[in-house]
Amino acid sequence: MIGSGIKRGSAELAVLSVLQDGPLHGYELARRIERQTNGALRFTLAALYPMLYRLEQQRWIRGSWETGPSGRRRRCYRLTPAGTKKLSPLRREWAELFRALRRLTKAAHA
Amino acid sequence: MPDWQELVRRHLSGLALDPAEKDEIRAELAAHLEDAYESMLTDGINNSEAAKRTLCLADDWQDLQRKISSARSGKDAMTNRVTQLWLPGLATFVLSGGILALVQILRLKAWVLTKNGDLPIAVLDVWWLILLPLVGALGAYLSWRAGGSQRAILLSSVFPVLPFLASILVVLPVSLVFDKFIAHNIGPMSLVFALFGWVFVPAATLLAGGLTTQLFLSRRSSVDGVASR
Repeated sequence: MIGSGIKRGSAELAVLSVLQDGPLHGYELARRIERQTNGALRFTLAALYPMLYRLEQQRWIRGSWETGPSGRRRRCYRLTPAGTKKLSPLRREWAELFRALRRLTKAAHA
Repeated sequence: MPDWQELVRRHLSGLALDPAEKDEIRAELAAHLEDAYESMLTDGINNSEAAKRTLCLADDWQDLQRKISSARSGKDAMTNRVTQLWLPGLATFVLSGGILALVQILRLKAWVLTKNGDLPIAVLDVWWLILLPLVGALGAYLSWRAGGSQRAILLSSVFPVLPFLASILVVLPVSLVFDKFIAHNIGPMSLVFALFGWVFVPAATLLAGGLTTQLFLSRRSSVDGVASR
């Protein structure tokens, strides 16, 4: 199980990565992240929506009300060009962090 | 089927945002809960268990409300602390001081707990104490309205006694060390009475108002069960 601090830091990357595949509304987004991480990243409302609103304020994502096939209105989020641009350095930073941690654990076991 | 719209509306009644923005957020969160609930029903979970699990998605409404207000308004933690604690605290402090001054100017009824010669050390101003619950209630309301946590709400309520507590805590060690060098030396019992009259009793009355308000506001925005259509 991943600790809460790491989860918080990686949540933005998870949201931006999933939205790269296409627009999603809040529930769908949370469900897809949970499924793709085998339940390691699970969002409560207090974890998901404040983050989505913050990402929206930073103009990395944009939310708009859309009517689905069932006739229900849902607020869908899509990645903006600024968000797409932010995604690559974020991925690089996290990849570097994990490489560093792997080196550290290897050194500790050596 | 549970009325998710009503549930969210009641829990997030204190969102510090404009009405249109509030409605939009409530609709979005209600839709999330509705989707989660229906998805569980599709997975074969029974109604009551699905409703219970859906509610777990929002276990701390107060925290959710605070975080959403902060994220939407773009205010940082420092700004939040000012609006949730320092401003309500300052308001209660000024109001409490104003009432006390008025009570003393009008020479309304007071009980002198202890004197040092002719100098009263601890006095209970009855009318001040009677009005303090309203001051505590105001502090709690202002902090709650700004999305303050339970701790910020309570601190805002008792804020007027904190300067008294700080002064007494400073006076106590000073009087113990320099007792013999101070002309009007203050005895330990006088300090105990001062603590009682200036801190404990006013804090209790402020808390009575603050806690009652908090209880009322949390009752208003909380739901014992899930409202049904």
